[in-house]
Amino acid sequence: MIRTENLTKVYRMGEVEVQALRDVNLEIQDGEFIAIAGPSGSGKSTLLNMIGCLDKPTSGAVFIDDIDTGKLSENKLAEIRREKIGFIFQQFNLIHTLNALENVALPMFFAGVGRETRLKRAEELLAKVGLGDRVDHKPSELSGGEQQRMAIARALSNDPEIIIGDEPTGNVDTEAGNAIMDLLEGLNREGRTIIVVTHDAEIAARAGRTKRMRDGKVLD
Amino acid sequence: MKDAFLLVYRNMKERKTRLALTILGITVGIGAVIALMSIGYGMQESITGQLVEMVDVIMVTPGAMEFGSFGEFGSFTDRDLEAVNRIGGVKDAVAMRGTMEDVEYRGETFRVEVVGIEPRDIGAVFGETVKLEEGGDAGRGTTGRELRDNDHKTCEIGYSIAYDYFSDELGVNDRLTINGSKFRVVGILEEQGGFTDIDSQIYVTARDAVTILDNDDISVIFVRVRDIEDAEEIAAEIEERIDDNHKLDDFTSAMTMGSAIEDLESVFGILQAVLIIIGSISLIVASLVIMNTMLMSVMERTHEIGVMKAIGAKNRNILSLFLLEVGVVSAIGGVFGCIFGVIGAHAISFGMQTALDVEIAAIVKPEVLLGGVAVAMIVGVLSGLYPARKASKMSPVEAVRYE
Ligand SMILES: Nc1ncnc2c1ncn2[C@@H]1O[C@H](COP(=O)(O)OP(=O)(O)OP(=O)(O)O)[C@@H](O)[C@H]1O
Ligand SMILES: [Mg+2]
Repeated sequence: MIRTENLTKVYRMGEVEVQALRDVNLEIQDGEFIAIAGPSGSGKSTLLNMIGCLDKPTSGAVFIDDIDTGKLSENKLAEIRREKIGFIFQQFNLIHTLNALENVALPMFFAGVGRETRLKRAEELLAKVGLGDRVDHKPSELSGGEQQRMAIARALSNDPEIIIGDEPTGNVDTEAGNAIMDLLEGLNREGRTIIVVTHDAEIAARAGRTKRMRDGKVLD
Repeated sequence: MKDAFLLVYRNMKERKTRLALTILGITVGIGAVIALMSIGYGMQESITGQLVEMVDVIMVTPGAMEFGSFGEFGSFTDRDLEAVNRIGGVKDAVAMRGTMEDVEYRGETFRVEVVGIEPRDIGAVFGETVKLEEGGDAGRGTTGRELRDNDHKTCEIGYSIAYDYFSDELGVNDRLTINGSKFRVVGILEEQGGFTDIDSQIYVTARDAVTILDNDDISVIFVRVRDIEDAEEIAAEIEERIDDNHKLDDFTSAMTMGSAIEDLESVFGILQAVLIIIGSISLIVASLVIMNTMLMSVMERTHEIGVMKAIGAKNRNILSLFLLEVGVVSAIGGVFGCIFGVIGAHAISFGMQTALDVEIAAIVKPEVLLGGVAVAMIVGVLSGLYPARKASKMSPVEAVRYE
């Protein structure tokens, strides 16, 4: 279970303070599929970054399985990102010098998984997202939809319980977007918790629950 | 590990030009050090090499000005030679009577040092170091021979005398005129190079020197000792005895080759240090090049670093990737540096020989090459440490946002 408690994030840029998150209290149950919607600048990405252990709150806390992530060392946070969370970005963020297989195997490399196991699993994951025949391709040789599916395979690499997607369909056409949502639904059926940010009402409708944000707050 | 190399390799492929420049920086730095050191060793070797074979030799020269003959070094007498011979521990004492004489061959005349020596003493002085040139006879194929005791008006000539001084090359049995008397060449000495005078000297028998050239004066006495351990002591005694004969203080200087080598070695120590300082400067430049490249590389890959961290890379994963990269680059630079250094050293050696006619071999020591690669890697990793740490400490969100 993921729980935020008065989660607040303030960005300071010189004199100016931006309240990206204000006292957010949100509970996400294991196995839930939740969509987060809201206007640009409302704090959606900031919230995902906090939940995904990429950033630390200014005040308040994020609990993952009752662990206060704010109290963990950088190393422990890296381990949580590596083992428990799979991140999918709007911009795909694949390593462009590596081919599909190597990209997918990378989180396992950081986890110290043996080479054989790593490559075998990466191949299985690519097959699972429908890229079984693209293992040797560099990201630049694939379409946006294919790249995002590669990114999903990478997110699954260490078999995480939580998948976090920040507008995962934002950079692909509707058809590819639907394919991505199909994949995410499938992962949700496997019991994984899925959290996606989206502007698209249709996409949001496919989630079990939708939360709206405005001005750094989660609306009821 | 293999994948770490793969990541590094892919990155390097991506940035070929910069990579090449970095490697070039290291190559030049390490190459310069290796070339300079190899030439340094070569110089040392060419000078001390000949001396090392003569460690049991003491060279006795008139070192101070003789009273009344202003500006001249003076000379020894046969009485001095006998005195030296009587000192215990002296195996041989060989007198050389050297004077500058006019030497004429086919109409050309030069002033050359002509040295009178007892033929049987030649081996005692030079040992194995100076040999006759085999077949060296202006192409006539005669090896010639050493001077003999009962020779009359014969000479052995240095390599340069035979081939460089006169327009016509000299061969065995050719005759040249020394101070008005004809002398027949019986042998030509091998080229000595380095810093000895032998190449441009002419040797005649001591008897000819005294009777024909009227040269009684002994310009140098070479002493061979039985036991090298006693050399310093014997040298001191020689100085004392001869000084007594001449009733002068500090007239004689007896130098053991051992001390000559020591002196030279300390000179070479300084020379090496200077070369190393010059080399170090190029290493510092190389190190700045590496640091600059790595910092640029970190900057450029900020986004990638953020992504890696977001998918679970720890600080030390990132740190080791960057260190591995700089290590690989430095190792390549080090190896190229070795190649470049060896080529450079030989080029310098060749250049000195053709341009300055100084023969200095490039002596490439394997430990210098290994040291070169090691230094490249140490310098590389040290210079890469700061950029790599900077990369590893980046905040993942900031880095991912960076485009
Ligand atoms: N690193 C940062 N430094 C300064 N301000 C930031 C930073 N990150 C976010 N912000 C600010 O925080 C607020 C929330 O940003 P956030 O990216 O969470 O919005 P969002 O809901 O994801 O918007 P979008 O739909 O455009 O992605 C914005 O006003 C943004 O300018
Ligand atoms: Mg956003």
